[in-house]
Order: sequence, then C-alpha cells, then structure tokens
Amino acid sequence: MYHSWDSQNAWLRQIHTYNFLMVNAATARAAGIADGAWMWVESPWGKVRCLCRHSEAVEPGTVWTWNAIGKAPGAWNLAPDANEARQGFLLNHLIREELPTSGSGAVSNSDPITGQAAWYDVRVRIYPAEAGEPAETWPRPEQALQPVPGMSGAPKRRGWMAGLMKVVK
Amino acid sequence: MTQLALVIDLNVCVGCHACVTSCKQWNTSGAAGPLVDDQPYGADPTGTFFNRVQTFEVGEFPNTQTVHFPKSCLHCEDPPCVPVCPTGASYKRKEDGIVLVDYDKCIGCKYCSWACPYGAREIDEERKVMTKCTLCVDRITDTALPAAERKPACVLACPTHARLFGDVHDPESVVSVAIRERGGYALMPEWNTRPANHYLPRRRTELTVHAEDLVRVDNPLKIDGSRPESPQQGLGREDFAT
Repeated sequence: MYHSWDSQNAWLRQIHTYNFLMVNAATARAAGIADGAWMWVESPWGKVRCLCRHSEAVEPGTVWTWNAIGKAPGAWNLAPDANEARQGFLLNHLIREELPTSGSGAVSNSDPITGQAAWYDVRVRIYPAEAGEPAETWPRPEQALQPVPGMSGAPKRRGWMAGLMKVVK
Repeated sequence: MTQLALVIDLNVCVGCHACVTSCKQWNTSGAAGPLVDDQPYGADPTGTFFNRVQTFEVGEFPNTQTVHFPKSCLHCEDPPCVPVCPTGASYKRKEDGIVLVDYDKCIGCKYCSWACPYGAREIDEERKVMTKCTLCVDRITDTALPAAERKPACVLACPTHARLFGDVHDPESVVSVAIRERGGYALMPEWNTRPANHYLPRRRTELTVHAEDLVRVDNPLKIDGSRPESPQQGLGREDFAT
C-alpha cells in the first residue's frame, strides 16, 4: 500500500489500516515514549499526534512512516470511524512546499537537479502525548466528508467470486 | 507416496504480501470460496485469508534483521487437526498429502483450530465453516491449465521466487533438493506433526569493501574545463578478477 492509494481496497486494508511513526527503540525510550503509545512529532511548521512503533531497524535520531495512510473521516467512502481516520496520520502538516528565504520571492522545496519534492528531510522533535489526551490523531477534520450525490454506501460484509459479487448489507 | 508441499526461502522474502492477495484472489473465486470480508470499508476490517505474512525484527540496531515470515497450513504428515474432527470433514488426501476441509461436513465447531499448533486455520464467519490453505488443489490438478501454471497461486505470484512447490517425498524434486542443500527446516518439530512445508533459513551476507570504494570519484563529465583525475592511481579492484 503506497501513499493513500488502495485505501479503498478491501484486502489491502486488512494488511494496513493505519500507520505508526517508526522510531529507534533507544531514541523513543530516551524521549519517554512507549511502544504503541501516542506521541507528538513536531517540526518548525506544525505538529502531529501519532502512534509510536519502536524499531531496531531505524537509525537512532531518524524517524519515518508511510505517509497519507491517515485520512479525513468519510474520505474514500470509508466509514467515518475507520482506522484511517482515527489512528492513521498525515505528515503533510509538518512540511512546507517552499523554503524560507531572506528576500522576496519563493524557493520551491525541491531538489534543484531533479525537481523531486524534498519535503521530508525535515528536522523534528518527538515527545510523548500526555495521559489525558484523546487516543486519536491530530489534527483531524471535525466534519466527516459526505458521500457525493449518487454514491451508494459501502457494504458491511462482502465475499467475491469470479463473475458474481455477493453483497450483504 | 506423494506429499506436496511449499518450501519458503526466508532469505529472499521481502514481505510484499503478493502471496497473500493472490491466494485470496484465487481461492475466493474457486472451490474454497467465497472468502468473506467483514467491515471491508469500516473500522477494524477482518476477513478470511489462507496465507498471511508476519513481520518481526531480530537483534539490536545496527545488527538488525527484519524477517518476513509467510505462514499458511503446513500440510503436516501427521496432522493433529484431522483426528479431532467429529464429522470427518477435516481430512488428509492419500494421493498427494494435502490436508483439506469438506465444507459439506464441517459444522464449524473449531476443534481443528484448537488442535493446530500453528494457527493455520481460519473460521469463515459468513458460512460458519473452517477454511484453510488448499495448496490450490483446484488449480494444481486442473489439466486444462498449461503444466507450468499448475502451481499454487502464491508460488506463481512471488516476485522473488521465495516459494517453491513440489513433492517432498521425491528426493530429486526441487523442494527436496532445496531442503537438503540449503538447510530447510520444519516449524516446531517437537510437536511431531512432521510438517510437509519447510522454510529455508536466512543466510549471512558477506560484503567486501575495498579501500578505493570509499573514495568518491568526481563526475568525469564535469563541465568546468578540467577533467578530474581518479584518486586511485594504482591497481584497484577492477584490475583483478574476483
């Protein structure tokens, strides 16, 4: 599952419905963040509350995640309480499309040779979420996206067979 | 006597889940299907899969391995799921050793899933019957298919060829050779289930770094007028056959 693509795929959703921020175990412990706990990741431009996963396969001092698994409630015609809308998170809140400049004009935050977006090499700080905080990602839209006119609701149970599709509502 | 089985090479599995989805694609549409998906677009979706990949880490940074471990029914030679079945629905085929469930006889009592030490069985919540890997029996025995395609869907789908399929009782089969020559092992032999499926262990990768590999060579097409000289003046790795 890459980016937000395939979040409408019933089988791939059963592999990943939400993402973690992957943090080296020693780095996370030093910051007081438990494995599977809610934490904050903060850049000069914003902050995100997300789930932490301790990992020994991550360089200490570096964090990563799959981006855009988190979605607005109701997006992709998923149920408003889908895991993507509660536990998944979006890193876009931490980055900017443009670099800070001393003068006027904007400089694109992209690789000068290839033009490839260079958004994710950003310095962040991490710290644990406090005990009373909601166990869900932040920021997230308060209003769920509404289905577009003519769109039917998603089925609650499904079983595919070639040539026919069994739908139980 | 034939005993068909999978041999899975943990050294090359990259955890892409192609075996998981191709398995579901074939089997939901075949004799074993349909395989239910519950809350496919809601909270905590679940469903029936005959094959799943478990991923775990071993060791501490920087000496870490991320192991992707595909797991399905191991088609044991002495399967504990068969004698516990009160209706005879769970059985092992004499002709090829595949362990199957007859859905017409299964009453969904789940005894077999308690007896299986590997957690390889999946209750279908829609049909209330026990399901499991069939080794794509409706595919490998289909003579209408070209011979090269008479293999389980997961074997055909694997992009790294981590999955081998064949008869482990034939000492010259590709699976028997792999087990013999590459240290193939069975899971939890202490249960005396004698799983037909085997796994090939991860192997240590040796990488030799030569001194000149650590020196960055400037781009020879540099346009500042002067071509840079290679920092390596003497004989290097390229000058020797290794």
